[in-house]
Amino acid sequence: MSENIQIQARKRSQFIEVWRRLCRNRLAVLGMILLVVIVLVAIFADVIAPYPYDFQDYSSVFLGPCLQHPFGTDNFGRDIFSRVVYGTRISLRIAFISLAGSALVGCIVGAIAGFFGGIIDAIIMRFCDIMMAIPRMVMAISIATTLGPGLTNAMIAIAISSVPNFARVVRASTLTVKDQEYVEAAQSIGCSTARIIRKYIFPNILAPIIVQATLGVGTAIILAASLSFLGLGDPLVPEWGAMVSAARSYIRDYPHMIAFPGLAIMLSVLSLNLFGDGLRDALDPKLKK
Amino acid sequence: MSVKNPDMRPELLQVKDLVIQYETSDGIVKAVNGVNFSLREGETLGLVGETGAGKTTTALGIMRLVPDPPGRIVSGQVFFEGKDLLKENKVQMRAHRGKDISMIFQDPMTSLNPVLTVGDQIAEVVRIHEKLSRADAIKRAAEMLQIVGIPAERMNEYPHQFSGGMKQRVVIAIALACSPKLIIADEPTTALDVTIQAQVLDLIHNIQQKYQTGMLMITHDLGVVAEICSKVAIMYAGYIVEYGSIEDIFEDPRHPYTKGLFGALPNLKKKVHRLSPIDGMMPDPANLPQGCPFEPRCPHRTESCTQKVPEGIEVTPGHMVRCICCAQGGGK
Repeated sequence: MSENIQIQARKRSQFIEVWRRLCRNRLAVLGMILLVVIVLVAIFADVIAPYPYDFQDYSSVFLGPCLQHPFGTDNFGRDIFSRVVYGTRISLRIAFISLAGSALVGCIVGAIAGFFGGIIDAIIMRFCDIMMAIPRMVMAISIATTLGPGLTNAMIAIAISSVPNFARVVRASTLTVKDQEYVEAAQSIGCSTARIIRKYIFPNILAPIIVQATLGVGTAIILAASLSFLGLGDPLVPEWGAMVSAARSYIRDYPHMIAFPGLAIMLSVLSLNLFGDGLRDALDPKLKK
Repeated sequence: MSVKNPDMRPELLQVKDLVIQYETSDGIVKAVNGVNFSLREGETLGLVGETGAGKTTTALGIMRLVPDPPGRIVSGQVFFEGKDLLKENKVQMRAHRGKDISMIFQDPMTSLNPVLTVGDQIAEVVRIHEKLSRADAIKRAAEMLQIVGIPAERMNEYPHQFSGGMKQRVVIAIALACSPKLIIADEPTTALDVTIQAQVLDLIHNIQQKYQTGMLMITHDLGVVAEICSKVAIMYAGYIVEYGSIEDIFEDPRHPYTKGLFGALPNLKKKVHRLSPIDGMMPDPANLPQGCPFEPRCPHRTESCTQKVPEGIEVTPGHMVRCICCAQGGGK
């Protein structure tokens, strides 16, 4: 019993160390607060939104921001605030699921390439190079078009196009860790290769993976919005990109329709990038003071 | 012949004509060139030589851990309890590592995983080789820590919270956790302070005596050898140039290189103005001379030394020297 408590105390103390360094960075704290608010909005969307996202009121179309409709209404008289709030849910879901997929595949592929080296490494990394030669947006669009419109397909497209970035980061970190003597020591006690990668390599390269993931969520949100903007998402759900796309024909007369979903995209990506940068600095032992 | 070690005990390890090479872009590096030695249970063999002589490669060869590529075990046999390790498949080999043969590494600072607690790391080897529950493995880890002189309460600490000597004790605990029959200690004290060196050596020696484990001690410190080894093999440029019991080597060194090593050691009893170092450098293992590898530095070199690598000659029973001077009855 006492052993468990001790282990927990130790782990927490390491966490606190990173936490303190993170808190010293004001921008990172700002990003973190924004991120927490965004996540809370996504969770409590039902409570926060005053109207259902598909409720249409033809008596009040194109209303500017007012008390009943803080962000105004759109061409169908739908409350933009409610739609942006529900959109948080969708954007975050797409971003996190696609990111989890690409992180999983990227980590496995990158670790294999880095650990085994030689011909396997060459094949995997050249393939990644080919994928990275194509701009991510173009790549995501072409995959999404091939698979057809829809949120699931958009997620798959985003996930596939993010795999090479993860694979690169993981491979580079694996290369530095695999020549450490403790990996040789692990071999000398009879660890299997899978176990070495899982218990000796992976925990030691976690920091760059976390940073890459945090920054990757921001990119994934933009990619998701872009795909919806181009009509490759689901037209029935209030995705931010789709809202921006629908509002663009009214941009001259009713700019609030495009401003608020755009602002939501910007704030969420900004918060993730600020937080990601802060995390990178906090997790980097070289910057310890 | 050594009296303390009657040759009644069974052979534990027998290395025969082991050849290991690294294939690099600059050519073939001949790291180990036909090494022969054997070890009985409870015996300690000291493998001595300067940096780059192939000591560590020999050890990795026994464990079959030579990094491949570029390293390759070209030929030879490594018998462990009668079985040729070089013919075992990967799974069988993995079962030997850590269970039958374990290794103590040179630098304790880097040979522990920084993200696992030391207790977990000791338990790891137990869990790999013995069917024990997690709780039992942790219990064993605590016992092992106490055996190496670390209070069991510290098992939940991470390697960075230990000093160098303590880390080396943890490494020793990991090596001993499954009570192996053979320990390969690769310069276990090189990275430590002199006072800690003595403690760690004592610890290794006591444990080895207690459990009657065979040990291959790799070092370049003849003092360490004198303290704990019963047999010595002197390595130079991938060859064992002299091999015998500790008495043979220390009281009757025959090979000019061995003599050179002793000449370079300060002696408390003899008063010398200056120590006599061995002139020159070890030859590049990618470009070994045709003849005796020590010939360019040897004070007794002759024309015939450059012809071919001298064969090992048994000068007295169990005492092998690779020098043609000894074949001609000289070398004294």
